[in-house]
Amino acid sequence: MTNSFTDYQNSDVFLCIGANPAENHPQAMRHMGIAVAKRGAKVIVVDPRFTKTAAKADIHAPLRPGTDIAFLYGIMNYAIENNLYFHDYVVNYTNASYLVSPEYGFTDGVFTGLTEANGKASYDTTNWQYQKDGDNVIKDPSLQDPMCVFQILKRHVSRYDIKTVCNITGTPEDTYRKVCELYCSTGKPNKAGNLLYAMGITQHSYGGQNVRATAMLQLLLGNIGIAGGGVNAQRGESNVQGSTDMGMLYHLYPGYLNSANAAIHPTLKDYLEKETPKTSYWSNRPKFFISMLKAWYGDKATRENDFCYDYLPKHTGKDHSHMAIFQAMSEGKIKGFFAWGQNPAVGGPLASATRQALEKLDWMVAIDLFETETATFWKRPGVNPADINTEVFLLPTAFSYEKEGTVANSSRWIQWRWKAVNPPGQAKSDLWIADALMKAIRKEYQAGGKFTDPIMNMVWDYDMHGHDEPDIMKIAKEMNGYVVADGTVLDSFAKLKDDGTTACGVWIFAGYMFEDPVLKVPGCMRRSREDKSGLGLFPKWSFAWPLNRRIVYNRNSADPSGKPWDPTRMLVSWDGEKWVNNDVPDFGFKDAVTGAQIPPDKSAVNSFIMTTEGQGRLFAPTGMKDGPLPEHYEPLESPVKNVISKTQNNPVAARYKGDFAKIAQTGSPDFPYIATTHRLVEHYQSGAVTRNCPTLAELMPEMFVTISKNLARRIGVVPGDVVSISSARGEIKCKVNVLPIVKPMRVNGKEVEVVGLPWHWGYQGLAPGSTANDLTPFVGDPNTMIPEYKAFLCNVKRA
Amino acid sequence: MQKKWTFKITPFRKVLLALVGIAILVALYRLVVGLGPTTNLSDDWPWGLWIGFDLLCGIALAGGGFSTALIVHVLHKDKYLPIARAALLTSLIGYVIALVSLLMDIGRWNNCWRPFFYWGFHSVLFEVFWCISLYTTVQVLEFGDIFLERVKILPLKKILKPALIPLTILGIVLPSLHQSSLGSLYIVTIDRLYPLWWSMLIPFFFVWSAFFLGPAMVTIEGTLASRAYNRKPELPVFQSLTKVTMWMLIVYLIVKIIDLNYRGVAGMAFNGSFESNMFLIEMIAFVIVPIIMYAIPSIRTQLWGVVTASALVVIGVIFNRMNVVFTGMAGSVGTSYFPSIWEWLLTLGMWSALVLVYLFVVENFPILVKEHEEDEALSTGTGMTAGKSVEA
Amino acid sequence: MSKGVLVDVTRCIGCRSCMVSCKSWNDLPANKSEFTNNWDSPGKINANNWTVVNSNIIEQGEEVKWRFVKKQCMHCLEPACESACFTHSFVKTKEGAVIYKPTELNQDYCVGCRYCMIACPFGVPSFQWDKPLPFVQKCRFCYDRMKEGGLEPACVTACPTGALKFGDRDKLLAEAWQRIDSNPKYIKHVYGDKEYGGTSWLYISDVPFEQLGFRTEAFGKPVSNKSIPSLTWDVLKWTPYIFVGWGAILTALHFYTKRRAEVEHDEENMYEAVNTQENDKEE
Ligand SMILES: Nc1nc2c(c(=O)[nH]1)N[C@H]1C(S)=C(S)[C@@H](COP(=O)(O)OP(=O)(O)OC[C@H]3O[C@@H](n4cnc5c(=O)[nH]c(N)nc54)[C@H](O)[C@@H]3O)O[C@H]1N2
Ligand SMILES: Nc1nc2c(c(=O)[nH]1)N[C@H]1C(S)=C(S)[C@@H](COP(=O)(O)OP(=O)(O)OC[C@H]3O[C@@H](n4cnc5c(=O)[nH]c(N)nc54)[C@H](O)[C@@H]3O)O[C@H]1N2
Ligand code: SF4
Ligand code: SF4
Ligand code: SF4
Ligand code: SF4
Ligand code: SF4
Ligand SMILES: [Mo]
Repeated sequence: MTNSFTDYQNSDVFLCIGANPAENHPQAMRHMGIAVAKRGAKVIVVDPRFTKTAAKADIHAPLRPGTDIAFLYGIMNYAIENNLYFHDYVVNYTNASYLVSPEYGFTDGVFTGLTEANGKASYDTTNWQYQKDGDNVIKDPSLQDPMCVFQILKRHVSRYDIKTVCNITGTPEDTYRKVCELYCSTGKPNKAGNLLYAMGITQHSYGGQNVRATAMLQLLLGNIGIAGGGVNAQRGESNVQGSTDMGMLYHLYPGYLNSANAAIHPTLKDYLEKETPKTSYWSNRPKFFISMLKAWYGDKATRENDFCYDYLPKHTGKDHSHMAIFQAMSEGKIKGFFAWGQNPAVGGPLASATRQALEKLDWMVAIDLFETETATFWKRPGVNPADINTEVFLLPTAFSYEKEGTVANSSRWIQWRWKAVNPPGQAKSDLWIADALMKAIRKEYQAGGKFTDPIMNMVWDYDMHGHDEPDIMKIAKEMNGYVVADGTVLDSFAKLKDDGTTACGVWIFAGYMFEDPVLKVPGCMRRSREDKSGLGLFPKWSFAWPLNRRIVYNRNSADPSGKPWDPTRMLVSWDGEKWVNNDVPDFGFKDAVTGAQIPPDKSAVNSFIMTTEGQGRLFAPTGMKDGPLPEHYEPLESPVKNVISKTQNNPVAARYKGDFAKIAQTGSPDFPYIATTHRLVEHYQSGAVTRNCPTLAELMPEMFVTISKNLARRIGVVPGDVVSISSARGEIKCKVNVLPIVKPMRVNGKEVEVVGLPWHWGYQGLAPGSTANDLTPFVGDPNTMIPEYKAFLCNVKRA
Repeated sequence: MQKKWTFKITPFRKVLLALVGIAILVALYRLVVGLGPTTNLSDDWPWGLWIGFDLLCGIALAGGGFSTALIVHVLHKDKYLPIARAALLTSLIGYVIALVSLLMDIGRWNNCWRPFFYWGFHSVLFEVFWCISLYTTVQVLEFGDIFLERVKILPLKKILKPALIPLTILGIVLPSLHQSSLGSLYIVTIDRLYPLWWSMLIPFFFVWSAFFLGPAMVTIEGTLASRAYNRKPELPVFQSLTKVTMWMLIVYLIVKIIDLNYRGVAGMAFNGSFESNMFLIEMIAFVIVPIIMYAIPSIRTQLWGVVTASALVVIGVIFNRMNVVFTGMAGSVGTSYFPSIWEWLLTLGMWSALVLVYLFVVENFPILVKEHEEDEALSTGTGMTAGKSVEA
Repeated sequence: MSKGVLVDVTRCIGCRSCMVSCKSWNDLPANKSEFTNNWDSPGKINANNWTVVNSNIIEQGEEVKWRFVKKQCMHCLEPACESACFTHSFVKTKEGAVIYKPTELNQDYCVGCRYCMIACPFGVPSFQWDKPLPFVQKCRFCYDRMKEGGLEPACVTACPTGALKFGDRDKLLAEAWQRIDSNPKYIKHVYGDKEYGGTSWLYISDVPFEQLGFRTEAFGKPVSNKSIPSLTWDVLKWTPYIFVGWGAILTALHFYTKRRAEVEHDEENMYEAVNTQENDKEE
């Protein structure tokens, strides 16, 4: 997220959309609660269900799953029509004034440039680009030009008037109007609106555009880069932030460096040229990239051999996301599989097919704390183990409290955690397993093989003398970055070089292991509650990437002249001669060589330091596969036709073949209800850990489905009855939960029922239960490839 | 004449013996495995059949002992002598049963001796516990007199003799205290026990009902005994008891009405709820009807009349105790309780044991009055001496 | 100084961390449980769950409120359980905790009669029904933490939202009123201030307490503000007088009526055993 949990205390209004922190991020509720208690902050929760978070809200706006874009656009339209947006911020810090190509157009739900090849739709983004005069973008600061971003946006969102929005979302109009009024009240310099989101926003076939919409709203209201504002993703697994930082995604290297494409980047030169923009902080990409190669290949990486660029595995541009992998696996194209800390037999979309796909493997290694559903797929209920030829290994691993290392939370705080207890039995830390595995692989390769260099030459010397465990401090230092010549630990990625004199595994982490001069511990081990600003920045508690910056884009908290929009929330401030800062400035404020202060006008035009424009993008000419602007589409499975355009679904949504292609038709009478999946505070994810924890199993023992009283009456069930829930892809049975936390909604004149399914259960553990994901569709967002877990059609009947 | 102990085994007694046997097994099972597997008790209903019925009712029913003692030994209404010993006997057995059921019911039965040494004297239960223990001792000593008579250890009997008067007094004071305390136990249930039963006067209602229960109980026992042993029922004794009972019932009724009105809850008796209906049944069928029956000479003088009225009184007291323990609490507890098979079996076994022991003792000890003595004793009131002369 | 906890229902998010940490700290085993429609399994306090967070859904027309209330022993100022215990197994410590006398040995005072369970107006003490020699179990206010480490209770430490606040009862009571007075959303009542003579745990809320499963009324009247021990004591205190007085009256009566009767009957020969007569008859 742009801000941090401890910054929530500065917010005036929270717009919590598609997140349920009371269940999933209880600590976030603490900080929200502080704002409510201390400054009377107001809370809006936008969720199809009346959640535990909604129970704490001033307004709960129910909406039909999958209609967030309409919902957010309605607010933007309201802000523009009623002149409630933050004009000075929009003009100065966003691309509102940029003129877009006159060829750009939008008709009936489709942007210009939609093409089709081999039955696969995609967009050509040429006509989404800015009008340029040489290298300079043409702008109209009066925001009047019909092709300026502001006017395009205004036209685009004007279709989303309150009536239309509520027709789509099913939100009662008066409730919606209240939301618009309250949230638009943060479009003033002295008000901060905090937008938090999570999976209710992302897990859709247009999840990326949902997120875009949240960011655009925040830009319009001037809520990014300020204390108490921000777009705050309540992130997932305790270290999912760390894992994405570390490049655990198939298209990224550590530090969000795009991974090399064999066709586009055959040489280092190609990579650096094509991936390095002239503007924005990304212009430093070569320094990050080469330092990374240096960290990986050490002495072997030289200028002469392009720092071993050839060693890097390169992709072909094909989809290797979770869903694609399992489709390939089901087709027998994958021989071996490591389920390393994941449980796709429960957590993956269409988990029943996922389990079947595993049968096609020759071998599988499960590295886990428990014998999960994935580890036991070969002896799951209803199959005969003798029919399955996959060889399965289970390596017991240590739990997070049984090993040392860092965890990066949603606030981007990299916090060192010490080992509390020893792992039981034969369990080893993941690091130990990885180390042993690498050593074993190298041993195999000693006898020779195809292209052994990358394996044999990689830096791999983490042994700790006299210890069974590898030396995690060595790895931490490598990630942090150091001067190659003398091993000096770097304090900042500003010191990284593209000449091979520095090495750094994860550039954004640079400085996290640098010793604090006062506290005498590495940054990530700091635990000081010092907070001089009183804004909850806590600069000496752990280390926030990048550079211990607590609120990113913080230049935007002050006007172009450097005067804070709101002095009570001052992050950075130009006093006429120099910058006086509470947070680490996110802009060039001091000349690196001379040390001279850089006056505010320089940074004002480049306040969003990571975008090529240096401005916040209300319109995204690049980066999105499904349009420069979000647009409301129906989820791939929907009970109704799209009201706003003839285009029913995201034209470029990720879809898959064969068994994975099953989708109920729009308005299907067989599957009349909308299902959405959600989490419970008592369980974690696929429940592998929590359903094996007796105390938690006791607190939430059984799988259930929540339906409205209305639906319960219609199908004649009372709480605790067993019902069958079916989708186009399967059927499960569980107990029925009847609570007024879900209610039927009016959508375009039609009453639709929403049912809620927690997805924490599987056949293993102390509290087994049926798996919600046996029902979910195998479709997803074209940018992130996240599956559409949050909106699909089902039927519920007495079992 | 020293005689052999005898006990005739009839089919009925066989059944009882079997029940006792089963109960002993159940008791052992319960002691080993604990209360959870054997009872339907729960945190909602910590006290069930054993406390609610066996203890509370057992002790109330045994109340016959001390009220008769009061009448005979303190007030010296000698005409009631014929029933004195039988009453004492039932009472003693009743208490032993109460103690056994208590032992069964307490979770940590291995600790049953603790209360003698660790005193929580702020507790009503403390008083109940001590009174019951002491009173049982007193009764044993009182009975010792009879026992010694039977086994003819006269020197001991001589020693006991002078102690009998203080023992008798104690034997009335103690039960008066704990009969009332059994009621006081329920003072803690304020706001939970239905107000028709909850009252600061509940100790009074308990002790008072235990008093009037005595004569009624004696009537029933006497009738049963006479049936069993083919003797003439002591009808005149029963009849003369009716007046006492009737007046006590009337006092009970009046105090009840005053109490309900004083607390402003009298209206609840007519609010149509389950509780109110149970209360009305309790008051009408088991208090007012007996009063009327006792008041009408043509009923009172008939054996069926006295016996029916007495039976109503006895059932009424049980009914009252059940209402306090179960009916009145059900509403606030929210869930229901029905004793488990094991609870029933143990209770059945204990009451079977009561009957068997009673039969045995009556058949082997001088408990019942010699048949030919009765009439005279009753006709004269000073006839005891005469009786003695006859015997002589 | 007597301690307490202020529970602010408006801040509780029903995360149930308090329940988990109570179990961990006190080493309580988990039971097998079942689905509950309110998502609050096991739903009620029991011997292995000294605290539960109850979930209350309140519907007023279209409006729905969802409130979570942590329940545990209230640690009454004058505890009914303590006064009910005839072996005096329970004590109220000066810190405010109502616990079994705090040594293992003394815990053994308990005979398991369960009168404390009947006595507690909040239905708190629970029994280890599944044990052959069970104890009564309930929240101990983490007396061990308080005593040895100067720590606050485990549940309070775990609570992420500040719904639970530990401190001196007097100060908490003042803070409770200060919160109530400064925000109109609160119900103007501190539950535990006066109920049954007052409790160490205090509750404030924005929905009426009776909708949260608290007893504020019983049978149409406010619940007692007098402590249960004081009520019982009102009766119990007469015991010695009754004992002596009633004994004296009886003794007096005995001698008085005896002199009047002036006769001594021969009890010994008046009664006989049944089988004596039968035998007589048969003989
Ligand atoms: N206790 C617990 N905590 C967790 C986890 C856990 O499993 N258990 N998982 C962790 C992980 S990995 C993650 S990613 C996070 C996820 O955290 P969240 O995203 O908060 O979790 P969810 O419950 O999946 O979804 C949030 C809400 O989205 C709502 N929703 C569904 N569809 C829509 C929609 O179309 N629009 C909107 N606006 N809302 C919708 C659901 O009703 C739900 O209340 O939680 C993390 N924290
Ligand atoms: N229907 C539906 N499905 C969903 C979602 C949804 O909202 N709805 N949410 C999705 C989201 S956001 C996520 S993140 C995924 C999560 O999906 P998964 O990551 O597959 O699910 P987890 O249960 O988190 O799996 C983690 C596994 O790691 C093991 N583990 C825990 N600690 C360690 C460790 O230290 N080392 C190792 N090696 N293993 C460890 C656990 O025992 C567990 O088996 O599920 C997705 N699935
Ligand atoms: S990460 Fe841990 S402490 Fe933070 S909210 Fe989740 S469970 Fe609570
Ligand atoms: S709440 Fe109950 S158990 Fe707790 S101190 Fe009060 S009377 Fe005792
Ligand atoms: S169960 Fe134990 S603690 Fe409770 S009253 Fe009886 S003896 Fe005392
Ligand atoms: S005070 Fe201690 S014992 Fe009581 S509920 Fe909290 S954690 Fe449990
Ligand atoms: S830990 Fe705090 S917020 Fe969570 S349920 Fe318990 S009292 Fe409520
Ligand atoms: Mo996640």
